[in-house]
Amino acid sequence: MRLLLAPAVLVVAVFAAALSALLRYSVLEFVPGSLQTGGLTVANFTGIMSRQYLGAVWDTLVLSAATTALTLVASYPVAYALARTHSARVRSALLVLVLAPFFTGAIVRTYAWVLVLGNTVVTWPVPMLFTPRGVLVGLVHFSMPTMILLLAAAISHIDPVYERAAASLGASPARVFRRVTLPLSLPGIVSGSVIVFAWTLSAFATPELLGGGRVKMIANVVRDLALDSFNWPGGAAFALMALVITLALLAGAGKLTAVADRGA
Amino acid sequence: MLARLAVVTLLALCLPFGPVAPAHAQNSLVVSVWGGNWKDTVDRVIGKAFTAKTGMPVEFEVGGTIDRLAKARVAKGSPLVDITFTTSHVGRLYVSDGLFAPLDMAKLPNAKAAAREALRSEYQMGAWSYVYTIVYRPDLVKEEITRWSDLWKPSLKGKIAMPDFDPSHIITIAALMEGGNEATWQKGQERLKALKPSIVAFFSTDAQSQDLMKTGQAPVQVMLSVNAYHLQEQGIAVKLVQPKDYPGVVGIDCMSVMAGTKKADAALAFIDLALSKEIQTELAKALKAGPVNGGATVPAAFQGQPGIFLTPSEWKERGYILNDEVRARNLPAWREWFTANIVK
Repeated sequence: MRLLLAPAVLVVAVFAAALSALLRYSVLEFVPGSLQTGGLTVANFTGIMSRQYLGAVWDTLVLSAATTALTLVASYPVAYALARTHSARVRSALLVLVLAPFFTGAIVRTYAWVLVLGNTVVTWPVPMLFTPRGVLVGLVHFSMPTMILLLAAAISHIDPVYERAAASLGASPARVFRRVTLPLSLPGIVSGSVIVFAWTLSAFATPELLGGGRVKMIANVVRDLALDSFNWPGGAAFALMALVITLALLAGAGKLTAVADRGA
Repeated sequence: MLARLAVVTLLALCLPFGPVAPAHAQNSLVVSVWGGNWKDTVDRVIGKAFTAKTGMPVEFEVGGTIDRLAKARVAKGSPLVDITFTTSHVGRLYVSDGLFAPLDMAKLPNAKAAAREALRSEYQMGAWSYVYTIVYRPDLVKEEITRWSDLWKPSLKGKIAMPDFDPSHIITIAALMEGGNEATWQKGQERLKALKPSIVAFFSTDAQSQDLMKTGQAPVQVMLSVNAYHLQEQGIAVKLVQPKDYPGVVGIDCMSVMAGTKKADAALAFIDLALSKEIQTELAKALKAGPVNGGATVPAAFQGQPGIFLTPSEWKERGYILNDEVRARNLPAWREWFTANIVK
């Protein structure tokens, strides 16, 4: 049994070592123009409390929430069709369409969006590329396949008998959906939302390419601080702050999932 | 099976920590350089000639500027590479951490023919030069651009892109326009704020910059001359500006010997070869960059072009060279101010 735990212990040890290095760097003084660090300080944490850095945290939270909501709304009909269609051909076609983005890679997909959003393929009435709107589109597209698969799995577990029973008692299709299907698919909605929200919090490539330097999310700021400003202590402090925020949000989401599971 | 897996894991854990140079690298000279065209050119022009002359193979460790710096830090004391190519101001960071060895100038006879500006410090010898200047697409920008001050014209609103990872160049130019320099950069802050409506995008990589130019999203850019020549080679009709009011900002990529290398003599021989007239001529031709050896020749079409300096007076008059130490020290503050006031 102990041997079985060895790989897990190894992974935890590696993470703990990385986190302790992050923590150590975050409390060392940054010396501009040098890779040497100074003595112990909390200046890195006070430094990242400026409007510029907190703004990036706020932008990340807003974009993550908006991405989660839009992904859910856009994915639910596809997931429903995937789970409920009687045609094997339609199901296969939908599955291929849903899974296709997984085979192209995030960078390729995002570069495609650079062309689409940049008025070279379509002329948009409002600027899309290098705006939060454009980043949102890219993030939703990136998240949809996973959300669709999670929702489809949840919906397929709902016995259609419940929906038929509601309909036989006179409920309209909209009412059946609102009172039966939607509540029973809540565990899938919550788990899909938590996953999409969590990974959007750490999004990097999409805001980097579609944001044109104007839309900065947490991961982009950490990179900027550490790799462009050579301020590794500042980058470590910001990464730690982001980690604490993410853990707090995920703890809240975990409780929400538990409530949803009990409700279902 | 599980027991065997556990034994293998434990054996792996028992291996000495720290970077270990691969066996084949022990007989070769290992050079750290950027990937793509940079590595290919250094290999083809310097590496092959070095091997032909000395019999010693040359291997390459490629990566981005900061990735390679991070690797060098981890391997401090027993470097994985013998020579590092990097930008002059990032080289200052290597120096601050004791990662470079002082250059033994007695073993670099070809350095005597090098421009004075190429010796960036006792640890860093320039390999080639370029400038950050204005580059634009005349098919998308009807008005001719001839000066830095033209960037502030209302007709260029929403057409300009510039790097956000290193705003040193535009910050310095704005300061120069207001009677300051990189040390008194605050003088140019208000002028730079006035440029904000003209900027449509910021780029973090050369590839992004080139894409913005190709797609026409940002047809005017403050760009590396080498990249602009590369775009011209690809058939994109871009024009490099030799600004009439203030010169372009010079970049010099440097070669350094890693502290602790066991092949210091071979590393110095490599650098000396790279500084020779013949190799400098080939490098200038291949990279479209300026040679640092005054005796090198460049194709006629490139003489007098941005980033190509052949005489001491050209080095002095046609390019502005930032103080590397000031740049390395101020860059974090520049980036923070630039992000808060221009990018956002």
